[in-house]
Amino acid sequence: MLDTLPQSLALIFGLEGLMVLLFGTALGIVLGALPGIGSTVAVAIVLPFTLGMGQAPAILLLLAIYAGSVYGGSISAILINTPGTPQSAATCLDGFPMAKRGEAGLALGWATSASVIGGLCSAVVLILAAPQLAAFALNFGPIETFALILLGLTCIVSVSEGSLLKGLLAGVLGLFLATVGGDPITGEARFTFGQFQLIAGFNLLAVVIGVFALSEVLIRAASTLDQAAGVNAFRGIVLPSWSAWRGRLGGLAKSVLIGNGIGVLPGTGAATAAFISYAEARRASPRRENFGRGEPDGLIASEAANNAVTGGALVPTMALGIPGDAITAVMLATLTLHGITPGVRLMSDQPVLMGAIFAGFFLINLMLLPLGMAVSRLAAPLLRLREAYMLVTITLLCAVGVYFVRGNPFDLLVMALAGIGGFLLRRQGYPMAPLVIGMVLGPTLEISLRQGLILTDGSFAAFFSGHPIALGLSLAALAMLALPLYRAWRRSA
Amino acid sequence: MVVSERALVALVLLLGGAGLAYTAYGSGGFADLGGAFSPMFFPRIVLAVWLALALVNLVLDLRQGAEGPTLPPLRAGLIAVAVLAYVQLLIPLGFFLASVAFAVVALPLLGVRNIPMIAALALAVPGALVALFNHTLAMPLPTSPFVWWL
Repeated sequence: MLDTLPQSLALIFGLEGLMVLLFGTALGIVLGALPGIGSTVAVAIVLPFTLGMGQAPAILLLLAIYAGSVYGGSISAILINTPGTPQSAATCLDGFPMAKRGEAGLALGWATSASVIGGLCSAVVLILAAPQLAAFALNFGPIETFALILLGLTCIVSVSEGSLLKGLLAGVLGLFLATVGGDPITGEARFTFGQFQLIAGFNLLAVVIGVFALSEVLIRAASTLDQAAGVNAFRGIVLPSWSAWRGRLGGLAKSVLIGNGIGVLPGTGAATAAFISYAEARRASPRRENFGRGEPDGLIASEAANNAVTGGALVPTMALGIPGDAITAVMLATLTLHGITPGVRLMSDQPVLMGAIFAGFFLINLMLLPLGMAVSRLAAPLLRLREAYMLVTITLLCAVGVYFVRGNPFDLLVMALAGIGGFLLRRQGYPMAPLVIGMVLGPTLEISLRQGLILTDGSFAAFFSGHPIALGLSLAALAMLALPLYRAWRRSA
Repeated sequence: MVVSERALVALVLLLGGAGLAYTAYGSGGFADLGGAFSPMFFPRIVLAVWLALALVNLVLDLRQGAEGPTLPPLRAGLIAVAVLAYVQLLIPLGFFLASVAFAVVALPLLGVRNIPMIAALALAVPGALVALFNHTLAMPLPTSPFVWWL
């Protein structure tokens, strides 16, 4: 990859590359700051804009939206006590009290500095870990791939929010949706019920936009809608001085490590990392009694960890083609739309593109500092917008996004039905990330299982004899399923 | 016994899975290929797991009784109907007109009572999107037989 680094850098530092990074990061910050949009919806609604772009600018734009939106969530968390993204929920705990006592600029300064450091470290993790993991996975055949996807799915289900059973059911629903349409081996139509539009299967992005963005509109419509929020006085970001950092660097390093570690695990996500990091900081900080009353240590813990997750979450996505969460599932779908097959061969087949992605992701996190300072002042007035305006705009953007993927009116109907179905399921505690990830991984799971069985003359037991990696991965998958059951049993006992 | 919305959703999932499993296991129209070669091999496994999980899920949800959220408010239902109508009208009416109509219906449902604001937003957001996609990005949105000049 080092041989092709000049070409990769040329992709980033060309006019288009730089414009995409600047615009994408700024837009990501604004979208992340708007409560109710969140990183997944932000990435999903920006997706249609990438369809007319080349591979590298399209992926860089979505990465910029992703990293920008995770940081942007801290703006509304601090200024109006409403996290723009779930990842910033822990930021409210100390950010809002600081804003209330007139230190909104300084609170955002701490959040921005911690986010930039967390994000940069996560970019390093992505650059170092993804090629190693992909190189290891190059030896995988269909049996190992099957076991790996099984492990990925169980990981995601067992650690996702809500009950294990509902998570599993959502994952299985996603696997089923992936089977609708032509059989990948024989080409025969399955579950199309005479509808020719279904022969190509459900459009993944129509389902993703439906279950995440449109269902969010309906959930918000079902709840008490916010009027224009009261925004704390804010005249721009004030960065903390070097001396103010003294005594806090250890906590920052610990938060970054927590975020990096959790990010690589499929399914856990930035919100979990932020809360774990916050709890650890409160336990270890010499200023623990100030937590919840505007303590910068709390802000650092939350923001460093949630941004440190971003690069880690991209490691299994890029290296193995297994998305770690809903956002990376959307990214994976986008890569596929642009003719890129994520997974073990991506690093060796497209070194220029991968180099651009790695270097671009580092640059995006570096840009968070100046852009955060500039854009947060513009984003603050937007927080006064009524929620109703945003909900209508999001619905229109959803329709535009789905229409542009294939130009097929049937996809619009799929999006609407997925939105209504997602709304009903989410209200009852069914997580949607396993559904989407099941749908993304379903075709590969099916093909690897069937190819494996053909290779072993139909013997499933042979999957584990002579395939130590598959055996290890399958045992890990079993353990991931057994762990929550064991915990539940211990609690009840 | 009061059946909660949660149990109702669980029941729909079970019945849906059962119906699909009936189709999958009873399908005779597929090429007679055995084992892993059969197009229904993988869906049958998935549906069997679906049925088992949905059954346990229903039992647990029924045991919980009427806990969980009550039926969604009428507003969410009306917005859902408006979204369904919108996606159906998007191609025949074109993006601009269908979006204006959707915004005019949805904004009052979402509590906006200021008529000039409804009119302004209903025209401005679709108009801005048409300007951006049709004229700046050269990615045309569905056109209307009535406002083709947009």
